[in-house]
Amino acid sequence: MSEAFLAVKEIHKSFNGQKAVNGISFTIDKGEIFGLLGPNGAGKTTVIRILSTVLEADAGDVTVGGYSLRKNPAAVRNLVGVCPQDLALYEELSALDNLIFFGQLEGLSGREAKSQAISHLSLMGLTERGKGKISKFSGGMKRRINLAIALMGNPKLLFLDEPTVGIDPQSRNNIFETIRSLRDKGMTVLYTTHYMEEADRLCDRIAIMDGGKFVAMDTPQGLKRQIGDPDKVTLEDVFLKLTGRSLRD
Amino acid sequence: MQQLRNIWLLTIKDLKLFAADRGALFFAIIFPMLFVVLFNYMMTGVMGEDSRLEINLATQEPAGGISYQIIAAMETKDATTLKPGEPKITWLRDYEQAKQDVEDKKLSGFIAFPEDFSEAVMMGYGTSLEVIFNPNNMEATAALEGVAQSIASELGASRVVNDTVISLLVEKDLFSTGAAEDLGQEIQALLARQATAAGNEMITFSTQTVGEVKAENPANFVIPGYLVMFVFFTAAFSASQLVKERQNHTLERLLSSSATRNAVLGGVFCGTAAKSLVQITIFWLVGIIFFKMNMGTSPLAVILISILMILVSSAFGVMLATMVKTERSASSIGVITSLILAPLGGCWWPLFITPKWMQFIAKITPHGWATTGFNKLLVFGGDFASVIPEMLVLLAFAIVFGLIAVLRFKTNAD
Ligand SMILES: Nc1ncnc2c1ncn2[C@@H]1O[C@H](COP(=O)(O)OP(=O)(O)OP(=O)(O)O)[C@@H](O)[C@H]1O
Ligand SMILES: [Mg+2]
Repeated sequence: MSEAFLAVKEIHKSFNGQKAVNGISFTIDKGEIFGLLGPNGAGKTTVIRILSTVLEADAGDVTVGGYSLRKNPAAVRNLVGVCPQDLALYEELSALDNLIFFGQLEGLSGREAKSQAISHLSLMGLTERGKGKISKFSGGMKRRINLAIALMGNPKLLFLDEPTVGIDPQSRNNIFETIRSLRDKGMTVLYTTHYMEEADRLCDRIAIMDGGKFVAMDTPQGLKRQIGDPDKVTLEDVFLKLTGRSLRD
Repeated sequence: MQQLRNIWLLTIKDLKLFAADRGALFFAIIFPMLFVVLFNYMMTGVMGEDSRLEINLATQEPAGGISYQIIAAMETKDATTLKPGEPKITWLRDYEQAKQDVEDKKLSGFIAFPEDFSEAVMMGYGTSLEVIFNPNNMEATAALEGVAQSIASELGASRVVNDTVISLLVEKDLFSTGAAEDLGQEIQALLARQATAAGNEMITFSTQTVGEVKAENPANFVIPGYLVMFVFFTAAFSASQLVKERQNHTLERLLSSSATRNAVLGGVFCGTAAKSLVQITIFWLVGIIFFKMNMGTSPLAVILISILMILVSSAFGVMLATMVKTERSASSIGVITSLILAPLGGCWWPLFITPKWMQFIAKITPHGWATTGFNKLLVFGGDFASVIPEMLVLLAFAIVFGLIAVLRFKTNAD
């Protein structure tokens, strides 16, 4: 039996009386890549913001690596790395300065932060651009830096909120490979995306979320089996079947 | 400990962003310097005109008192021999007549020694100089308050006259008040001589030089005025920077690091203050090195008021950031308020030459208190004690702005 590294129990969150997250429970095992899918406005980002301690849930319990998020948020922060959906970078600083700054905020010394920053830059294929200002970077490069920052301080659990949105196949492949190699080293990952085949290839288990609730949670194969022959249907078929065809937002 | 380090990291980050932003650097440092150079030059022209400080003295003592000797010694015997900047001191022989003249507005005012002055000085108990002035003569009155304060504190410091209430009189000129400084020293020196002559050991006088405030140097009020004005501009810039960080989600990202909300807030305040500190330090260095500014009798007070200004303006900047939604509104509201408050608060011209209602309005701006404090110290030669009220009010402004900022602070743009 593998142990749950992240356990989420019945979390709720409303904005101005509107339920964004409506009672969600799940666990992610150590070393697992867990996919969170759902149409726009389903509540994926809200879940990640709650789990990464920047937003407080109205109700529910979360534990990470045995630490309660409510009682010991500092310990939780220490274990997690977050790649937010929106690029959160200092455009006027260099890539290296961004990485070092966030690394130091994770508790690394200046020297450790620098050496990690350099190795993450090379992981992202951006070694040459370390001294360049973010504002001069392409969208794909910014996405890769956004992810590299999440890796600073060697987190044990990664929250990746659409890390591959709006970028070319090359950049996407790079990010993809990075996540795989991290998983192989034992990293636990919560991953959201709108690219179904990406989720299919990458995730060990997937939850499909709609209107703040989970409508399904299974392995990719298991999900496909729910609607037909797993070798014939795609994850997108499952997604559309479960969440309907009406437009959101 | 870790949170202190985080605050430090955030502060350094803000300074890096500041240094990387050429526009901000230009508006915070180069642009203000251009203003200072320009206005300093213009004011020098104004100062060059011969306008003499006139001081009137009278005494109620019977002939033979110490005050007679003091006044006799100070009186200007030949006005043609006066050097530029030296005050013309007139002895008004008839106290009652002088009082009547002030009432009739023939005279702007005078200082009178009390009937028991000699006795008080000899016995070492307290007495007070009487100040008679016409409150309608606002220019003179306002200018006098500052001058008087410096003399009062000097006399107070030498413990000759306790609880002295003083004001002085100026008829025309408002800036060559360095002369009044001389007067203050003159009085002390005379009193000291008198006391030694009388062999009265009870009365000791400090004869230390209490700074030579060269009020003829316009930089002494031009630079502090622009410093106060531009430190608020920097706060406006910081406010828009902060809104930008909220919008580009970096502020929220900080919260998922080891930094707590309080550390983020602390870092935001310190980062804003650090920028202003850099700016003010450059201002003072340029003022002292290139404009031969004099830090007055209490450089410590000048530094403290500068620091309080930094606190007020950065608290204002953070508060402003919590009240607006967009970068653009932060910078435009910031710049507009700075531009309105600067002249109201005496950054462009000294408050003491403005009418009473303007001086009253100035009191609701932090600028007004800061420039008044700087003027007292650098133009009128006031000492530390004379600017304590200004310091307290500035502190109160900082606390109020800061509290509002803390209560309203949010890391996300929702
Ligand atoms: N700060 C907020 N204030 C008000 N409403 C919010 C806020 N954040 C999210 N919401 C609402 O909560 C719901 C869930 O939003 P969320 O961003 O979590 O969706 P999402 O699944 O991440 O969508 P997307 O795929 O578009 O990123 C939406 O209806 C959104 O409008
Ligand atoms: Mg989202």
